[in-house]
Amino acid sequence: MSKDPFKTRLEIAKKKVSKRNLENKKHNPSSIGTAFKLSTELVSAVAVGTIIGFILDKTFGTKPWLILIFFFVGVIAGITNVIKSAKNMQK
Amino acid sequence: MAANPMTQFEVYRIGPEIKIGTFDISFTNASLFMVISSLAILIIFNLGSKKNSILPNKIQLLAELSYSFVSKMISDTAGSKAKPYFSFIFSLFMFVLFCNMFGMIPYTFTVTSHIIVTFVLASFIFIGVTVIGFIKHGFGYLKLFVPSGVPVILLPLIVVIEIISYLSRPISLSVRLFANMMAGHTMMKVFGGFVISLGIVGGWLPLSFSVALTGLEILVAFLQAYVFAILTCIYLNDALNLHH
Repeated sequence: MSKDPFKTRLEIAKKKVSKRNLENKKHNPSSIGTAFKLSTELVSAVAVGTIIGFILDKTFGTKPWLILIFFFVGVIAGITNVIKSAKNMQK
Repeated sequence: MAANPMTQFEVYRIGPEIKIGTFDISFTNASLFMVISSLAILIIFNLGSKKNSILPNKIQLLAELSYSFVSKMISDTAGSKAKPYFSFIFSLFMFVLFCNMFGMIPYTFTVTSHIIVTFVLASFIFIGVTVIGFIKHGFGYLKLFVPSGVPVILLPLIVVIEIISYLSRPISLSVRLFANMMAGHTMMKVFGGFVISLGIVGGWLPLSFSVALTGLEILVAFLQAYVFAILTCIYLNDALNLHH
């Protein structure tokens, strides 16, 4: 095979690929990834907050109070997490 | 026949018992499948990068495609500064992907359906990213916990919230992968059990469900590996380009 037909074929193929890439950009898999991210973000922050409260309660001996406070702080942290990643998604 | 759908997650010892102090470090089926998937990655990428022909064969194509896929993912999410960490993210993505995919073969063991495995992976990422952040920015990295434009009165509360949300990263990373893999495999086993118990008369509906679920699970196996890698990139991006 001579070289020139191959080169022209390569050019055509490259154009096709770049065109397809442009079309695919609208729904790339990373949006599904960020959607998966949201679901666990909320729960894990609550869990971490509760664990921190539990540990602090054990060390200071203030049995029910710190776990209660840190539970709600964890809820707030989870909600801010979700809002942050939703904002990142829209960028 | 025991139809317990959770028996597939059982870890048992293969070969002799090895103990160091009180730690049991015997070779289990989980370690066997980790070794198998690492070996598969090594073999595929060795064969794929052996001869660089212009018209690649299938293995070379696979290796090149996955290389460009991960490299594009890193440059899209973490920018050009994250290039030195390519090998880490690439091997992480490949390991999780191969563990997930090997779990899809019948009678195999899914390593990533155990939270301790995913949690160790995630906590290594977490510690590594934190260390990188402190090396790159010094104590300025702590500015991550103090968002700008917050009134001074609210600052103690905001800092606590930011610290909790930072600490929740490894947990959300590991729970996501583990829960997806475990739920999917349990569901497949449950539907498989329905096929047996309903017999040849009513077993066709759960059988078709099982087929559909297998396809879905292969998608989830890929997607979760992808999500794991892309979140590592996002955390790395936070550590490298500090803007808050």
